[in-house]
Amino acid sequence: MFDEFLLGCILFFAGGTSAIFVRGKAKGYLFLLFGIAAQFMILPSAVSVLLGGGNLEKILYFSDPIGSSAIRLDPLAVFFVIIISAGSLLASIYSMEYLKHYDEKKYSLSSFYFFFGLLISSMLLVVVVQNSILFLIVWELMSTSSFFLVIFESDKEEVRKAGVYYLIAMQIGASFLIAAFAWISSVTGSYDFNSFKNILSAQGSISIILFILFFIGFGTKAGFVPFHTWLPRAHPAAPTGVSAIMSGIMIKTGIYGILRIILLCGIPEIHLAYGVFIISLVTAITGILNGISQKDIKKLLAYSSIENIGIIGMGIGLGMLGLSYNLPLITWLGFLGALLHTLNHFTFKSILFYGAGIVYQKTGTRNLENLGGLIKYMPLTAAVFLIGAMAISGLPILSGFISEFAIYLGIAKSFSFDSASFNILMIVGFSGLALVGVMAVLGFTKLFGITFLGTSRSKFHHQPSEASPMLLFPMIICLTVIFFVGFFPAVIIHLISGAVNQFSQTNYLSELSSIISVYTSLAKAISIFVAILLFFFIVRYLLLRRKHVRIFKTWDCGYQTANSRVQYTGSSFSLPFLELVAAVVPQKTIVETEKEIFPAEAKLKTSQHDLLERIFIQPLLKYIRSFLNLFVWIQSGRMQQYILYGLIFLVLILIYVIGVM
Amino acid sequence: MLPVIQICLLLVAPFLFIGIINRVKALWAGRKGSPLLQPLYDFIRLLKKGEVISKTTSFVFQIAPTFNIAAVIFAFLLIPIPSFGSAFSFEGDFVLFAYVLGLSKFLTVLAALDTGSSFEGMGASREVTFSTIVEPAFFILIGTLAMLTGQTSFASIFHLLNSSAGYSVLIEILFTAALFIMILTEGSRVPVDDPNTHLELTMIHEVMVLDNSGPDFAFIFYSASMKMVLLSVLAANLLIPGNIQPVIATVLLIGIIMLSAVLIGLIESLIARARMSHVPQFIFLMTALSLIAFAVVVFYLRGRM
Repeated sequence: MFDEFLLGCILFFAGGTSAIFVRGKAKGYLFLLFGIAAQFMILPSAVSVLLGGGNLEKILYFSDPIGSSAIRLDPLAVFFVIIISAGSLLASIYSMEYLKHYDEKKYSLSSFYFFFGLLISSMLLVVVVQNSILFLIVWELMSTSSFFLVIFESDKEEVRKAGVYYLIAMQIGASFLIAAFAWISSVTGSYDFNSFKNILSAQGSISIILFILFFIGFGTKAGFVPFHTWLPRAHPAAPTGVSAIMSGIMIKTGIYGILRIILLCGIPEIHLAYGVFIISLVTAITGILNGISQKDIKKLLAYSSIENIGIIGMGIGLGMLGLSYNLPLITWLGFLGALLHTLNHFTFKSILFYGAGIVYQKTGTRNLENLGGLIKYMPLTAAVFLIGAMAISGLPILSGFISEFAIYLGIAKSFSFDSASFNILMIVGFSGLALVGVMAVLGFTKLFGITFLGTSRSKFHHQPSEASPMLLFPMIICLTVIFFVGFFPAVIIHLISGAVNQFSQTNYLSELSSIISVYTSLAKAISIFVAILLFFFIVRYLLLRRKHVRIFKTWDCGYQTANSRVQYTGSSFSLPFLELVAAVVPQKTIVETEKEIFPAEAKLKTSQHDLLERIFIQPLLKYIRSFLNLFVWIQSGRMQQYILYGLIFLVLILIYVIGVM
Repeated sequence: MLPVIQICLLLVAPFLFIGIINRVKALWAGRKGSPLLQPLYDFIRLLKKGEVISKTTSFVFQIAPTFNIAAVIFAFLLIPIPSFGSAFSFEGDFVLFAYVLGLSKFLTVLAALDTGSSFEGMGASREVTFSTIVEPAFFILIGTLAMLTGQTSFASIFHLLNSSAGYSVLIEILFTAALFIMILTEGSRVPVDDPNTHLELTMIHEVMVLDNSGPDFAFIFYSASMKMVLLSVLAANLLIPGNIQPVIATVLLIGIIMLSAVLIGLIESLIARARMSHVPQFIFLMTALSLIAFAVVVFYLRGRM
């Protein structure tokens, strides 16, 4: 069974490679074929672990310096494997159709499928390898292949810029990981994850510093502040299928890394738990605050990914706090919330990115201020997008509520613990999560309302039409998962209970059953709500059945010549809120007017800035740049000088060999 | 028998609530005022009417009012009635309470944007902006109550709160005041919003639903007033002691709901709507009150229950 799994991992890569050798549409179909085959290889073993069949493990032997390396499928790894494997298949169905509109002469589809396959295979391997060198290799493969996917449209300058920014961010993150892994290995003399336990679980400053190194390394991938700045650049630049995979799946490997380290830590230091919780809350708030101010659909979605990573992080932080204070129920609810939200964020963020891609393809713009009224042209896309937007705002009867509820409940349960500092942290988290939720409502009513509702704010070149079934299919699959999790939370909790239980130090059955019973009553409550809803829909239908329903224009308050330009725009919709929070989302307004007696044409430009980026990242980059500028003379661009380097090197080697040996 | 009477009373309370507000305002202005049950007659009249639907709108506009009324009726089932408890309760039900109301707000805002009218977009934008202040404060309030009692559901929180004498009057005052600000904000009353103004530019809630008519408008009207009643019932839960006769509790409950309607009517007669830029400051008062209540609970009241 294990070999099938490994084969499945490699099949994606094989699919990408073989797509090079066929032409045109066949590339996509071939890749898809391999992807489907991979599901049959991967899912049986994954499901068997998930259903409690015990871990699957194999030791592979490599030559030095890697040595023997375990590859293990435990419930935590399997949880991520299923998301990666199934999610990648959906993304490849979408991409196959989406890429049809790209000029094959201008953009290389071969390289796209090659790196797409490589990315998926490396992501699958990242979550199963248990050896630090092997881990770093697949981790780097993942970062590099996704870099090539981001710069798919490399003829555009902003895409290239975003790609390089992304690559550098990933390498900085990886350097922290390398430092941490190297440090541990220098102490233990082994590269196996299991041998790390002794160091990471020991009390003292070393384990704290190591944890921080790991958190920065993995947090850069996941998008925790202040290392989040690459997301709003890379996500809009990448083709939509890739954005969906990066946002829905790839950044979760960072979450996986953090969870894996926590598993090795045992009981985390209390300050670390506080730190993770606070950083996550700041991440969530920063993400959605900046998201609200965006005009670009994909940038808004990228910032919302940061928000959701923050929510997942709050779950993780809560779980760590539970471990530190030895509160098993809170540990359980925290990690449950984190894992559930990881799954949920994958489903609704995929829907939203796929929808955004359709909007972009049909209208040629991602700017909210030019959109509007699309629900008339693409009702199905709009309806699915609406449900995705409602789910990501955490509204009930959908999946987002289920995962946020776990975190809320965990926090509420912690209130009875008698410690003022813990209580203050928890009440801040409790209301902070509510703030994030209501800001998400603002952000996503803006996104959906301005894009799909009202009338169009600019003229489209072609009349937009409904998306093709192949583009809608992956969205509808995600939609089913959203509803399933929303209505049958207990089933999902049972499935991932194995993964959550890995974090629990004690017997978990009592926690599991009490959580299941809460969720059963929650599900009952939700079905009652649906019943009430149906009742009122029937009442409304009966009331209107024989009545005259007149279709007329919108009430215009007497302004007869109103056109679609007088509608509220995205900026005006979010303006009252942004004025409230102007201190943390600074806004720059430029007004250009001709100073004349009679009114002349004037221009108004507004732009918002990411404050944390300005405080943390930009100065850092400035210092790094000025430091590196000291070494610019090394790269002079003159061939003679490079030959001189070679010569000096050879002479030094010669001296070393003669002198030392 | 009494629970049935209570539920029936509470279901018609929204009409009476608005009726009392209007009567108080009329009396204060020296007018006679419309009948107390005039809102009920209006409601029935609206239900009998047909509708005018804008051709700009989509299905979102038509489903939002139904979601609205279903959400408040459902929220009503979650709130405990003094001396009886709630229709059903589970751990964390207050989160569902807040989020179901959030769901209806989400769709109302979208329905407003659906009409493509600048007025309704403005109302939607303001409504959701003010919610960003109210919701976190509400969660601080509920979290503080959970901390005070060590319970995690509405019913058990209020049950424990009312059956023990160990908490101070200060908490009651702070909570009631904070909830009252929430009623004014969520119910779109003066000084946050003026439901009676004829200038769309100054309205929030009313301007969002300019295009609704007939049964849909009846649903919206009912849910908006029911929301105020629900929050009054929450306040009543805090104020009514647990060990008194159910009949007296019912009388007190009705009394408290009517009292808050009278108070709203008096406020509307006495002060003007705040300037739009000052409204957030007023709502932040609720946050401040909740934070004071939290500080009192954490530093003084812990362990005394």
